[in-house]
Amino acid sequence: MAMATATSSSAMMTHLTTCLQFSSGSQQCLRSIASERADVWNKTWYPKAEDHVNTEKTWYVVDAADKILGRLASTIAIHIRGKNLATYTPSVDMGAFVIVVNAEKVAVSGKKRTQKLYRRHSGRPGGMKVETFDQLQQRIPERIVEHAVRGMLPKGRLGRDLFTHLKVYTGPDHPHQAQKPIDLPIRDKRITKQT
Amino acid sequence: MNKKEVFKLAKGFRGRAKNCIRIARERVEKALQYSYRDRRNKKRDMRSLWIERINAGTRVHGVNYGNFMHGLVKENIQLNRKVLSELSMHEPYSFKALVDVSRTAFPGNKNMTSAPKKEGLAILV
Repeated sequence: MAMATATSSSAMMTHLTTCLQFSSGSQQCLRSIASERADVWNKTWYPKAEDHVNTEKTWYVVDAADKILGRLASTIAIHIRGKNLATYTPSVDMGAFVIVVNAEKVAVSGKKRTQKLYRRHSGRPGGMKVETFDQLQQRIPERIVEHAVRGMLPKGRLGRDLFTHLKVYTGPDHPHQAQKPIDLPIRDKRITKQT
Repeated sequence: MNKKEVFKLAKGFRGRAKNCIRIARERVEKALQYSYRDRRNKKRDMRSLWIERINAGTRVHGVNYGNFMHGLVKENIQLNRKVLSELSMHEPYSFKALVDVSRTAFPGNKNMTSAPKKEGLAILV
């Protein structure tokens, strides 16, 4: 069966023709292969500094109202880490920024609202503090989504940096209008709470 | 190895390991062991990175990695994962053509992200 053979013309020409036109998902412009000397087919591509500038990353916004907590956190973590992009690199932050609004309305199924426990320890003996989902939602609703997403991001220096790309807000407004965030594409069909 | 060679290999090490021979010798031996092991690990890590990139690239088109590779195998397309990952990053139209070829050869699960319908009492949860 005949298949389209990849063009082996110079990397720069093919890159520029496809880069500007192809607009599925968040295909990024790969600046680092624009030079003539790049050996695209024998060396696995590794991002250069200009390929992951923070000012050019995509910003997504998602409304957490009536979304199941874990499923929402999973989708967010995938986009923050950059695993949905073909240019994914584990050691480099290629992901996007995600804004979460209406965080106090995030939903959980079953009896988790009264039974799910959030624990923290102050470090001193007998210093374990436990509170339920409900209590934490009264106190600091943003922490619920943050805790969920932090558990799904890698733990380490890069993971901590990635976590700063998550912005959670209660209420429907956010101060990032200047970044022109687009709606987070959600592929999970069970993410909205079935009532 | 004499001391000069050891210190040459210990450049960039932390603390006394780059300056004091007793410590440097240990650290250099360890470093050489690691590099022996990692020459073999590198091949595994690279392949796993290619697979992750291909997976991301195909999921954009609604096909997951497993079904994609199965379709390619059925069509006897012998492109290796290195080239496929580079295609997915740099030649998106060609890659889409490959995904379409694979999809016609092996449709796989029609809806990758749909969930099984909940029946009976599970609906209430």
